[in-house]
Parts: sequence; structure tokens; C-alpha cells
Amino acid sequence: MRWIDVKESLKDFWFEFKRQKGGLFGIFLLALLVFTALAAPYITEPDIPKKWTTYWEGNPTNVPPVWYNYFTTKKLAAHEVLTYENLKITAEGQDLGGGVKYYAFEFDYNHKYDLPPKDLIIKNIGAQLADLNTPAQIVITVYRPDGNKIELLSADLVEGSIYQIAKMGTVRNNVFNWASQFEDPKNLQGRVETIKSTMDVMEVIFAKAEPGILINPQPLHGDYKFVVEIFTFTKGDKIDLKPVQIILTGRTYGFMGTDYKGRDLWAGLVWGTRVSLVVGVAVAVLSVLIGIAYGVTSAYLGGWKDEFMQRVNEFVASIPTLPILILLGAAFKGHVTLWTIIFLLVMFGWTGIAKVARSMALQIKEQTYVEAARALGAGTGRIIFKHIMPQIMPYAFAVMALNVPSAVLTEASLSFLGLGDPTAVTWGQILHDAQTNSATINGYWWWVIPPGLAISLVALTFVLIGVALDRVLNPRLKRL
Amino acid sequence: MGYGRYLAIRLLNALLVLALVTLLVSVLFTKVAEEDLKSSIQEQINMKLRANPELMKQLSADPERFQQWYQSEYNRLIKAYGLDKPFWVRVLERTKDTLTLKFGNTKTPIFGETNVKKIIAAAIPRTVLLFTTAQIIVILIGLLLGVKAAQVAGSALDRAVSIIAMLTSSIPMWWFGMIAILIFSFKLGWFPSGGMTSTPPKEGFAYYTDILYHMVLPVGTIVFVLFGGWAWTTRNIMIGTMQEDFIMAARAKGVPERKVIYGHALRAAAPPIITMTIFSLLGSLGGAIITEGVFNWPGMGRLYWTALQQNETRLLMGVTFVTVALYLISMILADLAYGYLDPRVKVGASQQT
Repeated sequence: MRWIDVKESLKDFWFEFKRQKGGLFGIFLLALLVFTALAAPYITEPDIPKKWTTYWEGNPTNVPPVWYNYFTTKKLAAHEVLTYENLKITAEGQDLGGGVKYYAFEFDYNHKYDLPPKDLIIKNIGAQLADLNTPAQIVITVYRPDGNKIELLSADLVEGSIYQIAKMGTVRNNVFNWASQFEDPKNLQGRVETIKSTMDVMEVIFAKAEPGILINPQPLHGDYKFVVEIFTFTKGDKIDLKPVQIILTGRTYGFMGTDYKGRDLWAGLVWGTRVSLVVGVAVAVLSVLIGIAYGVTSAYLGGWKDEFMQRVNEFVASIPTLPILILLGAAFKGHVTLWTIIFLLVMFGWTGIAKVARSMALQIKEQTYVEAARALGAGTGRIIFKHIMPQIMPYAFAVMALNVPSAVLTEASLSFLGLGDPTAVTWGQILHDAQTNSATINGYWWWVIPPGLAISLVALTFVLIGVALDRVLNPRLKRL
Repeated sequence: MGYGRYLAIRLLNALLVLALVTLLVSVLFTKVAEEDLKSSIQEQINMKLRANPELMKQLSADPERFQQWYQSEYNRLIKAYGLDKPFWVRVLERTKDTLTLKFGNTKTPIFGETNVKKIIAAAIPRTVLLFTTAQIIVILIGLLLGVKAAQVAGSALDRAVSIIAMLTSSIPMWWFGMIAILIFSFKLGWFPSGGMTSTPPKEGFAYYTDILYHMVLPVGTIVFVLFGGWAWTTRNIMIGTMQEDFIMAARAKGVPERKVIYGHALRAAAPPIITMTIFSLLGSLGGAIITEGVFNWPGMGRLYWTALQQNETRLLMGVTFVTVALYLISMILADLAYGYLDPRVKVGASQQT
């Protein structure tokens, strides 16, 4: 085939394909998916696959996406992380005499939700103590918009201390004691201990100071000022505030919420595109190429060789794929890589195409131009690659596209069963975690719906392209 | 290729597949049995030591002698259990167990039972109840819709069938099941989220209505995901038949359209459709492997899920073997029916296609 012919036939093909609306839509979706897959490190972070197998410290677990607030009556606080740039440093190493040094910083939090953050975490205070037996002291106070002030915590500070406000018993005590002055004594009667141990500390801190603050806290909106003061008592103690991190653990998170490990599901969704596309396309292309080579060879060889190759084909075709894959997956459990899965899917995927390719090749073989070529002295290779293959290739493209969905679905199914590549970020694996953590029964829709939609979208993309290609390239179907 | 030869080849094929699966299962079996036995051998040696304080005192004084004694004891037991034989010999010995469905016991009881064979025997009827029911509904809807669509090819209905088929074939069935639970069980609270009966099971007639009630969501899921594909395939087969000359002849003859479709066309299209029916009905015994797990339905599919989650390799082998065997039987039956119904297979014209 000369280049000009290729150009010509491509032009014809595009002219026909343009009229397939579904196909065009499929191409559009494919472009979108490929873009997402390529841009994954830039859309999210480049080290997601490494981080994916770990717990994401500091992130809230099992919370819905931020935009969920548009659909609920109770607005839920978003996740926020404050660093050095967001803090107002008011004292850094001020000498109070007697060897005591004073550090202080404050930060504002504008509470505009109905439910405040789940927790307030202060960590990474760069403390270096000269004498480990005399720890530094930390005092955390909050100034509320109504003028009230609560001293939340006064505690020791050692190197590596992490303060999780909502989880600390002393904070719970302090907040309870402060709030009980506003509460109606009738509400507290005989229930002090129960209320103290069950109240949501954060909700009380951010509640209106009125009767009911402990049993049914109502949100008090406005600017809250948190002041953190640190005192050191030994000469040589050093406090570095640069690395400080303050996390307001949200009740909502990011675009897609989080799962039980606090992982950002949006990141998983974006990165999952890669695996799905790579597995789908690789399996489809490889199995079609192998199938066609097998079918054409079988047809060309003819006789008992053809018969034998046909029997082998039938044998592979009658192996029920999923049970065998499950068995193999269980045998290699934990050592399965993406390439293993691709290899296994190709191993079972080439048979149907081989059968069709063989029957097409049988027809082409009898054409007069093949006979002419043979008469002119053309060798086997030349006839197969110059005359038979070009006729079959258009068909092959359609089959490739139509083969992607089943590969994508099978990979997702295996991952869903927990048999996929444990180190890869895949949609099936996200759904596996959702299933083992009863996400459906608990109503964690943000964890269940998006990955499945994504799987379906990839499958649909290739179904659309495949059907359109089939209509254009197989004129027989056009009249249907 | 005559009918007899055709059948013989298909049968041989099925036997080969069965042999392959048996081998695979047996290899896995041997591996698991080896691990189990080794840990039990260690246990036995420890038991022996504990039961005999005198020996323990003697041995603990001299670590070298202890090592020697331990090694000899270990070797003796390894030999007694036949673990010293080469791997392949043991695999072949296991093959017999596999073929006679002796899969042993599970580590923890499943469905109140530890014998793998009994567990599977309990699971199959439940799968039949769920999946075969769903499959029958799918076939009925699919056939009716497909024939109708073929009748009015190119119409809105026909296009709708194609679009539905495309959409539903892209959806993982198990995921759709999860969505169904999310909507109808969690959000609306209309149906239970899983299981086959309420706990504790109801008595008398209510027991049966309770099962029906639990079947609604899974059956609905399976039907929704599968009926489009069936309708589309039926439509394609029918359209192929409707373009044959004998249909034109029948129409020219003045045969009423209804009779042309249901009498002539459907009859000619019957072989592939009936084969498909047999295949999917018998294939349904294996269950929708993953979907059953999602709905916690105590059938074959659920066993796969349990076996994988709880590392019950013996159960996994049993379930896989039975599933594959059922699949092969249905394949042969479908082949038989096809060969019987389609005269071209008998005469041998199929070789040209």
C-alpha cells in the first residue's frame, strides 16, 4: 500500500465515521479519559500510588465531599489545614525572667457551618528540650465571638507531642465545666457523667452559650480566635514554630470525600483511570493481534495443522474464565501484578477473534489476486502480510475497541474480589474496600457510586467507538 | 463433519478442560495440604514434649540433643504423612480426592457446616432459586423485546433497545447491586440489604413470602443488567433471519405478518436462541459469582466471596471445581441441542462457514 492510498482511505473512513454520533461521543470521552490519565500527577499529587497503601494521617475518615453541603440542610465543616503562613506569631522566645521563655501564636477560624470540624489537631511543634525531665508547657485557649473564653488545655509539651483536642480527657473536662454554667441544671440532674462522656467536645466549643449547650448544642457562627502559648523552663530549650501544622478535621473533604483510611477518593478516582485504560487497551490490542495472527496462520496452513490449531482454539475457548482467574489469583495471592492480570486476560481473550480471522482469511485466500500473487512467485510471508492482513486489519480495529469493555470489567471484578495488584490504585479495589467496610449499608454513597460510574464510563467509551467502527468498517451491518 | 464426530470432539474438549481444572485444583490442594500438615506436625511434636516432662527435662539441658531429637521426630512424621514424596506424585494422589469431590473441611463453619461438599450442596439450591429465576425473567423479557425490536427495525423502540444494551453491558453487575442496596435499602428502606431470610427466619407461609421479599433486589439487579443484552442479541438474530428469502416468499404468499414472525422467522432463529437459553439456565447454577456476594445471598457466589475473604482455600477449590463441571455439562448440552436443532451441523455444511 502506498502512502497516498492510506491517506485516501483514512479520509474516506473519517468521512463515514463523522456521521456516527455515538462514535464521535466515544472519541470525545476517550480524549477526556486519556487526558485524565496523563495529567493525574498534576491534577492530584505525583506520589499518590506510594501513599495509597497507607493510612492518611490527619484526614477525616468516611466523610462525604464538600459539595454535599449544597444538598443538605445541615452544613458540615470542610477539612482545613493551617501552616506557619496562616499563623499570627505574637511571641517568639520572649524572656519572662527566671529562665522562662514564652512563645505564642494565634489563628482565626470562621465558623459558618451547622456542624463544626470533628477535631482540632496541633502537631509538629519543633521542640528541642535540653533537659527531658522538665518538659515545656502548652496552653491552648479559645476566644469565642460572644466574648467568652475557654481554656481548653494546659499540658506538658515534649518533643513530638500531638494534641488532638476532641480526644483528650482534660479538654473534655475543661469544656464541660465551662459549659455547665450555661446549661439548665434540670437537664444535668443525675446525668452529669453520661453527658460528659457522650457530648461532642467540638460541637460544645462552637455552640451558643445558652441552656441546652450540652444536650442539644446550637452552632454559634462567627470568628473564633485560638491562642496557643508555650512556656519553656530550661536554658537551651528551643521551640521552632516553622513546621507547626494545625488540622481542623472536616466533616466533609475535597471533591469526592474519603474512605476508611482517610484517603482522598478523588485522587484514587483520577489515578484509577491509568490502570483501567492500560489494562483495557493492552489486553484488547494484544489479544486481537495474537488472535489474528493465529487465525490467519491456521487458515493459511490448512490441512491437519489447521485442524489441530482449531482444536486448541476450541479448548481454550471452553475454559470458563472467571472461576479459573479466581483460582489462579488465590494461588498467587499478594504477588499479582498488573502484568500478570494482563497476561492472564490475553491468554483467555484471543480465541473468538482467531475464529473470525480464520474464516475471513479462508475467503481471502481464494481470491484471484492472491492466486495471481502466488503465480508471480510471492512467498507465504508476503501473501499474509501484504494481501491478507490489510484486509483483516479494519475489522481488527473494531474488535479491539469492542474487546476493551470486557477486559476492563474483568479486571475490576478481580480487584473487587481482592485479587488484583495490591500496590496499584484501581477502581475495583476502592469498591472492594467499600464492600468489606459495609459502605452500602452505612450509606457512604461517595465511596460507592463514583468508582463504578468510572468503570462504566470507560467500558461505554469503547463500546461506542467499537460499534461505530463496526458499522463503518463492516458495511454488511450498515443496513440494520 | 458428522454429528457423531462433532459430538465426540466437543465431549473430548470438555474432558480436557475438566482435566486441566482438576490438575490446577489438585496442585493448589497439595500446596494447602502441605502447609496444614506441616503446622500440625509442629503441633504434635510440641504436644509430645508437653505430655512427657521427663523427656523435656532431659532435652532442655542439652540444646544439641534437643535439635537432633526434634529433627528425627519431624522427619519421622513427614514420612508418615507422605510429605517426603515428590510434589507431582502427591498432586496425582490428590487428583483422586478432587475427582470424588473430597475437599475436606473448612477452618470455620460456613452455613453451620464445615464439610465443603455439604456446604456446596446447601448452596446450589439457593443459587438456583435466585439466579435461575432471574435468568428466566431475563430470557422472557429479552425474547419479547428483541422480536418486537426486530419487527420494527430502525424505530424508536429498536434504537432504545440498542442503547439500553450498550449502557447495561458497560455496567459491572455487582456494582449495580451495590447501588440498588444504597438506594432501595439504605435511602428508601423498602427492601432488606442482603441475606435470604430475616433473622431469625419466619415460620410457616411467611417464610416463603420473606424469601420472595429478600429476592426482589438481587433479581431486579440481575434482570436490569442482563435483559438489554438478550434483547439485542435476539434482535440481531431475528433481523438476520428476516432478510432470508423464505421470509420474503412467505410474505409474497400472503401469510399474515404475525405468522411470518412467530411461525417462520422465530422458528428458523430458534437454534441459536435455544442454545443460548440452555446455556444461560445451566450456567446460572454457578451463580452471578460476585453479585451474590454483594447481596449476601447464601449461594455459590457468596461462597467464592467468603472463601476469598477468609482464606478458605479448600472451599474455593470445591466451589471452582463444581462451577466448572456444571459449566462444562451445560456446554455439552447446549452443543447437543444445537447440533440437533440446526441440520447444517449434521450434514456438515458448517465446515464452510
